Amino acid sequence: MIKRLCILFLILHAIVAWPHRCFCQVEHLGNIAVFRTSDTDKVVFDISPEFNGQPLILGSQFYVDEHGDTLYIDALRFYLTNISFTGYDNALNTNSFLYDAADSDTHSFVIKKIPGGNYSILQFTVGVDSIANTSGANDGDLDPVHGMYWAWNSGYIMARLEGRASVCRTLHHAFEFHIGGYKHPFNTARVVALRLPPTFAIGKRGIPVISLKVDVSAFFTQNLDLAKVNNIVTPGREASSMADKYAKMFSIETVDYLSCKK
Amino acid sequence: MKYILPVCLFAIILIISAFATKQDEINFVIPDGWPKPVYDFSKNKLTVDGFKLGRKLFFDPILSRDGSTSCASCHTQWSGFTHVDHSLSHGINGLKGKRNSLTLFNLAWNTSFMWDGGVNNLEVQPLSPITNPVEMDNTLENIVRKLDTSQAYRARFFLAFGDSTVTGQRILKAIAQFTVMFESFNSRYDKYIRNEPGGEMNQQEVHGLKLFRKNCESCHNEPLFTNNSFQNTGLPIDTELNDMGRQHITNDFHDSMKFKVPSLRNVANSYPYMHDGRFRTLMEVLDHYTDGVVQSPSLAKELRKPMRLKLDDKKDIIAFLQTLTDKEFLFDMRFRDYRE
Repeated sequence: MIKRLCILFLILHAIVAWPHRCFCQVEHLGNIAVFRTSDTDKVVFDISPEFNGQPLILGSQFYVDEHGDTLYIDALRFYLTNISFTGYDNALNTNSFLYDAADSDTHSFVIKKIPGGNYSILQFTVGVDSIANTSGANDGDLDPVHGMYWAWNSGYIMARLEGRASVCRTLHHAFEFHIGGYKHPFNTARVVALRLPPTFAIGKRGIPVISLKVDVSAFFTQNLDLAKVNNIVTPGREASSMADKYAKMFSIETVDYLSCKK
Repeated sequence: MKYILPVCLFAIILIISAFATKQDEINFVIPDGWPKPVYDFSKNKLTVDGFKLGRKLFFDPILSRDGSTSCASCHTQWSGFTHVDHSLSHGINGLKGKRNSLTLFNLAWNTSFMWDGGVNNLEVQPLSPITNPVEMDNTLENIVRKLDTSQAYRARFFLAFGDSTVTGQRILKAIAQFTVMFESFNSRYDKYIRNEPGGEMNQQEVHGLKLFRKNCESCHNEPLFTNNSFQNTGLPIDTELNDMGRQHITNDFHDSMKFKVPSLRNVANSYPYMHDGRFRTLMEVLDHYTDGVVQSPSLAKELRKPMRLKLDDKKDIIAFLQTLTDKEFLFDMRFRDYRE
């Protein structure tokens, strides 16, 4: 008798639960192909770099900075860490993500285990906190294998921008900004807080996809004169003020939701 | 019921094998009276297989760009893991660096690494020689790629880390497991302090120890024989090398010409001396401290007044320094190259 009741209950449960179940298993977004939209604790970040409104194309596209110099961008990499959502609810993800404009695998990423809720502020660190800078060999995106770690003066390069401009009197007219340093007073990790759209929610309307716009022209603000400043590759005052500038390059372009196509 | 016997047998085998591997365990020793190690062992559990992988990497020239230079090229065991008889170490293509290679032992107590203290953790220390164009001139990325194609290495990564994936982190953790085991605490001096057989010191050595404690102890303090600080010892600057030492890291002119205080354990075997290996003998070093110190704003305050030592005093100090040679460490078979 009990057995029968159990079976009946299971059948009923399946019928009731059916419409709420999501069986569209895989969604595609850029190159992130595999996750179930029935998972409700995920947030997708989609990073799109630009230069003052023009899409960023490495190597071949020229841009003009605030100072009026023509330049090319050859490399852009930066760390995003400690991504948190605050507001009505609070959530923190302590993973580290390395964005590399030259590696399309890094252009989107998913963070997991963010409890469903209503959030108004997105916050993250551009760079890596001092604990990770002193804790030896780390793994994943923080593995020193990614060329974002200084050997002779331990610590992470928080952000890295390289390019060419004819005004630079350097080898191949190159400019190099390898911005790092975790020690006071020249710590270059910067916390960025961005306001989310009022309707933003996790775990309610599907998986949020946050399109993060990154305007690289921020590196060149305050009338940066590339002829004079074209090589910042050590921790210090210059690196720290460059970090202040590029911390302003982020903005939320759109938030879409991935949901079941029933 | 019929499964009980095989299951029991299996369990017994498991227990036996667990004990068998336990015997093989690698033990880091904190000698009595020594401070707490700085190195965080909790994030890098020492295992026999990790230690062996580290040892293989330490002796393998595969770490250098052209396969010519290994860690051991400039760090030989019997000299306390330094490049004995080389004032400046040379790496790939015979290129010379600008500093004398440091000794490697008791690294778990180091608060920083390199002569200028630029490296903040034992695990990331190898990155410096690996990437230096005059040492190994390589990248960690390149090494990961090379090791990944080696069946023998992949097998060792499997044993050490549970799967055969080669990562930068694992390479560095394995090397740290090997080098952190370089422990030197069994010199004649140590046995003298511990009142053990083999720790007999003659009158000259005891007098040398007394003089050492009076004149050298403020920086080279026992039991590590370094206080891990950076000091300008008043060496006249070598105008060809122009090495400003610690200032290079901190960008602070107060740190001009300061270098790390090296441990004096095994010092008799680790000649030549000072950051650029300019002195060949311990007598020359002591002569510098009594007669050669150049005054400058960043000079160590202990050296502002010249050290007063008679020739016999110097001989006694050197006799004492020779008791810091730890043969058990310098000839420890665990640190040999086994070509595994």
